[in-house]
Formats: sequence, structure tokens, C-alpha cells
Amino acid sequence: MIDLSRRDPPLLVVVGAGGVGKTTLAAAMGVQSAAAGVETLVMTFDPSLRLKDALGVGDEARDAEVRVAGDAWADRSPAGLWAGLLDARRTFDRLVERHAPDAAARDRILGNRFYQNLAGSLAGILEYMAVERLWEAWQSKRWGRIILDTPPTRQALDFLEAPERIVGFLDSGALRIALRPWFDEGGRLRATSRWGAMGRGFEGWLDEVVGLDLLRDMAEFFAAFAPLFAGFRQRAVEVQALLRSRETEFVLVAGPGEERNADTLFFARRLREAGYRLGPIVVNRVHPRWPSPAGGASASAAAADSSDAPIADDGRRLLAWLGERDARGVTALRHLLPREQPLLALPLLPAEPVDLASLAALGEALRATA
Amino acid sequence: MPYDAPALGALLADLASRQLVVVTGKGGVGKTTVAVALGAALADAGRRTLVLEVDPRENAHRMLGVPPSGGEVVTVRRRLMLQNLQPRAVLDQLVREQVRIGLVVRRILSSEVYRHFAEGAPGFKELAILGHALRVVRGLERVTASPGARRARTQPADADVDVVVLDAPATGHGLSLLLAPRLTAATVGQGPFGRMAGEVAAMVDDPARTAVVIAAAAEEIPMHEALESLARLRAELGREAQAVVVNGLFPALPASDDGHESDDPAGRLWRDRRRVQERELARLDAAWRGPRVELPLLPLDSGPPLVAALAARLARAEVAA
Repeated sequence: MIDLSRRDPPLLVVVGAGGVGKTTLAAAMGVQSAAAGVETLVMTFDPSLRLKDALGVGDEARDAEVRVAGDAWADRSPAGLWAGLLDARRTFDRLVERHAPDAAARDRILGNRFYQNLAGSLAGILEYMAVERLWEAWQSKRWGRIILDTPPTRQALDFLEAPERIVGFLDSGALRIALRPWFDEGGRLRATSRWGAMGRGFEGWLDEVVGLDLLRDMAEFFAAFAPLFAGFRQRAVEVQALLRSRETEFVLVAGPGEERNADTLFFARRLREAGYRLGPIVVNRVHPRWPSPAGGASASAAAADSSDAPIADDGRRLLAWLGERDARGVTALRHLLPREQPLLALPLLPAEPVDLASLAALGEALRATA
Repeated sequence: MPYDAPALGALLADLASRQLVVVTGKGGVGKTTVAVALGAALADAGRRTLVLEVDPRENAHRMLGVPPSGGEVVTVRRRLMLQNLQPRAVLDQLVREQVRIGLVVRRILSSEVYRHFAEGAPGFKELAILGHALRVVRGLERVTASPGARRARTQPADADVDVVVLDAPATGHGLSLLLAPRLTAATVGQGPFGRMAGEVAAMVDDPARTAVVIAAAAEEIPMHEALESLARLRAELGREAQAVVVNGLFPALPASDDGHESDDPAGRLWRDRRRVQERELARLDAAWRGPRVELPLLPLDSGPPLVAALAARLARAEVAA
């Protein structure tokens, strides 16, 4: 079970592969947590329209945390549920606006072609921006609990490793090299202009291979951005420490079926190895077990026969097969995990939650599932 | 698992003329399954097909019942090959080819700047993936010879592969992949990298050479994302997808379903799931007039029998909207 009525942990990070229902579960845990009396913020990436509707928040949540209205738990708990949508690009722009030493520096960064097109993916800066927003929310101490939904990736840790990658990048020689005054005022390479004809030859070759414009844009970007780097580094180190502290617990969400177990184990191992505290693993959308309807061809025989002639009991037979497959998967996973690792099998819902009430029901299921 | 190919449906007939079929879609919709099944169907239809997977955690080989690729080309059966591509390795190879001077190459490849640049890389990884596909179909990259003899060439030759099916990375709708060559071509200038970006952009932007297939599931979030991909393809790349493949459909409900006979829990769940799926299919209908293929959820574990069953359906699929 996932009991959110306690104060701990104040930071829950929901991770897992794409399409397993992380965002919905994060929202359901948010409802559960607020209903239990903890002022709660759910930070999520790009949730579906319907979930935004269910939470009653719109695009304004991209810039600031928004209080979810219509909390059905008002009679039980005064705590509020808040939602924030993570938009990396916007966070980056805001960060530049806030920390740039002056308007000219700000415009130089925002207007730089390298920044606009390319800097976003350099060294995971964009993923890191989500971490910045988390840190900002955490520092404000406005919430008793923050539930962070992470972007879907089979690697999952890309996002968590973003602070490390930033620090690695800042500490590597790469930045020092990038910050050297490579170009003179005329936009010509300093080093090569001293070498005469040979230098011009080299410059031409460099222009051929990577393009001098790109190098000029990069040099300008790093020069303009340099004043911001120290703060970056400091916060990245602090977020790293927070994510590995006792205050943070990870919930790993997985899909049903034996074939996904390898992914789930891989995630769990990576998390532990990286020093994160793994809480429960939730196998989501597990098909219930039912006996297969009597008579007729077996499900797999019918499948191999690729004619699409409908059979009256098709759906029941398929569901019986899915129920067996998922039960097999959960059993196998339980055997493969250490005994002390909590594992929850959450049954498939007839439809995805569409409002706060059904999110609350899902949260309740999370609490009640053994 | 070869089968006697019946008359090809319109989807396969359409895709069989391309050099590159990019299968995009968000995680969890069975994108890799669709890509592998499309590859199998194209191979069965007589095209020499290379399925390219770009994921350090290999998956496609299990579906095809072959050992993991580890970066090498694995022959699955006649005309069907699989390769797991590591963009970093392709980039390293490019540097070797372009710079040529051994000492300089070693210094570049071992430098921190290059490492960060190649890892975080602004569109370079995407370009590397597509560039590899281009080289394969132009015969610049041998894929059928023994691994030791698999060398890059500088002159086009008879290609070993007619069509590359690319299981696109699930990030950013896979569209960042398709946008990367343009972006890089515009940024990097006229050098070898810029020229390569230009050539790749020309291939990707030519609908006669490159097809985009969107894998989707008839669930709310995945369908929303598929519709968004269609809209962005139109707005940012000025093109349409060749097909939307909707994966994992429950069987249609019996026509006589008047509510009584399906009042058991399994019957109810079947009905509920199918109705959600029909609602999402209707949403797709309303937003997209183009070709669409529906694949059933089959009671088969992921593996060659499932791929064969889906390939057979894809081969037959008519795409009249």
C-alpha cells in the first residue's frame, strides 16, 4: 500500500517507462495526499487534456503552481492540491530573465541562435530545467509534499541524471575551452589570424567541417551565459543531494505482463545503484483473472488464424488470456525482487480517471492494495 | 516465419516503393512491434528490408527471435535484417571519415568537449541515425557481408537494402528526428556535415522516398499524442503521415449485445474497453482523413508468432480512408 496520510516522504518521484500511467497515478496520489491533510503539489510533464480538465488547470500552470479547485475532501481536510506543468523551455527562458545581470545580457542570450536552436539539448540542459523548477518549489516550503511526475523514457534516469550531467559539463574542460576568447572583434579566429596563410587555411578547413557561424554563436552563447553558471552548479549539487536524501522516495510504475519485467528490474536496479531510495513498485493496469469461456477454439489458435471473422466470445477469451499473462508476470516479478521490496498490483480500470472523484478512487485503490 | 504472401493491400504497396519508413509514436503503444511487423511484411513482399532500432536497451531482436544486434546487422531471414544503432558510434565513425588524420581523430574522440557535444548533441544524433539510413539505401554501407568486411565506402554501389524501417526514438513525437536535418543543415553551413545534413534533409523531406507511419493506441492519452503528431507533421514539416496504425484493439462487440448477455464481469470489461477504443477511433476519424490501419490485440506473447500474425494483417491492409 501507499499511505500518504503520513508526513513522510515529503518528496515523491514517480518514474517508469512511457505509457504505463505514471501521470495519472501521480495525480491520484496527489488527491490522496491532499485529502489526508497534506498540502500537496503535483508537478507533471505534459499531461493529457483530460487530466488537465480533471484537475481543472490550464496552461497558466506552466508558469506558476495553480490550486486545484473543487476539492471533494474539503469536509475532511483543509489541505489544498496544487498542480504545476513542467515546460522546460519556458523555465529556461525564465531563468535567463531572472538571473541575467542586465537587460542587454538577457537579450543577448535569448536572441542567440545557438540558444534558440541548439543549446536546449546540450548536456541535458532542458531536462535539467525541470529540476530547476522542482528546486524552486521545494525551496519555497509552501507544500508539505511534492509529487514529481518524470518524463517518459525507457532510460528514466536521463532526467535524474540531468543535475549530474550539468555539473559534469561545468566541471569539465569543455566550458573553459568554450569560454576562451576564440574570436576577435572582426569575428575572425584569433589563433589562426596569427598564423598567416596557414592559419587562414586552417580557418577555411574548420569552416568547411563544422561551420564558423556555429562556432561563433556557441562562443557568444557561452560568454553571455557564463555569469549564470555558478548558480546553476550550486543548485544542481543541492538538488542531487535532495533526490538522494531520506526526504525523497521513488515510486516505480510498471506495465503488466512478463515481457516488461526485464525493464522493471532494470529500472529498480539503476535506481538503487544510483543511490536513490526506492519505495513501492506499482504494476499498473493488471487485467483481472477470469476463467476462459468454455468451447470454441483456443485464443492463440484463433489469433494465428488471421481471418478476422468475429467469434461471440472473442473478448472474453482475450481477457482470460490477458488475466493469465498478467498474473504470471506479477508472480514472476515478485520472485525476482528482493523479499523486502514492496510490490503493488493495481487492477485495470474500465476507463481512465476523468475527474477528481475517480482520481480519488484510484488513490484509494493505491492505499488499499496490499 | 515466412508465409505465402497474398495480394498486397494498399498500405504495403504504397510503402514498398520508399527507401525509408519512419515509425513514430509515444512509448507504450507498441511502436517497436509495429515497426518490426512492417519490416517483416515488407520483406515478405519482396523488399530487402533493414529494421533499425535506436535504443540502448534492445528489444526488437526478441520479437524476431534472433540474438541481440549489439550494433551489428543481424540477418533474421531472407530479405529481413535487424540492426540496433548507437548514434554515438555513428558520430565517431563520421569524425574518423571526415578528419582522417589519426592523431587528430583520437584527440577529438577523447576530448571532453566532443563527449558533451555528442551526448547532449543538438540534432547530431538524429542526423547520425538518418545519415546511416541514407548510406545504407545508397549502398555506401555494406550490410550483408561478414561483419569484418562491413566497411564504409565513398562511392554509391548496389545497395543491399531496398528499404529501411526506422523505429524512431519515442521522444518529442519522433518529430525532432525528422526536423533535425533541416535544422542542422541551416546551422552547420556548407562543410561535409552540412552537405550530409542537406542530403539527409532531401531524403526525409521527399514523400516519394520517405514515409512516416504513426503508431497509436486507441486510448485517450496515446490518441491525443497521435493527433498532435499529425498536426505537427503538417505544421512543422508540411507533410502528411502515410498511415496511422492503431494497435491493440479489442474484438468488436457482438451485434446482439443488448446488455443482458454481457453482464458478467469479463463481458462488462470487454464492453467498457472496446467502447473507450471506439470513442478514440471516432476521434481519429474526425481529425484525420488519411489512411488508417487497425491491428487487433492478440492473445500472443511478444515474439515471432505475434510478428507474423500482425505482418499478415499489415500486408492485407487496405488504406482507403
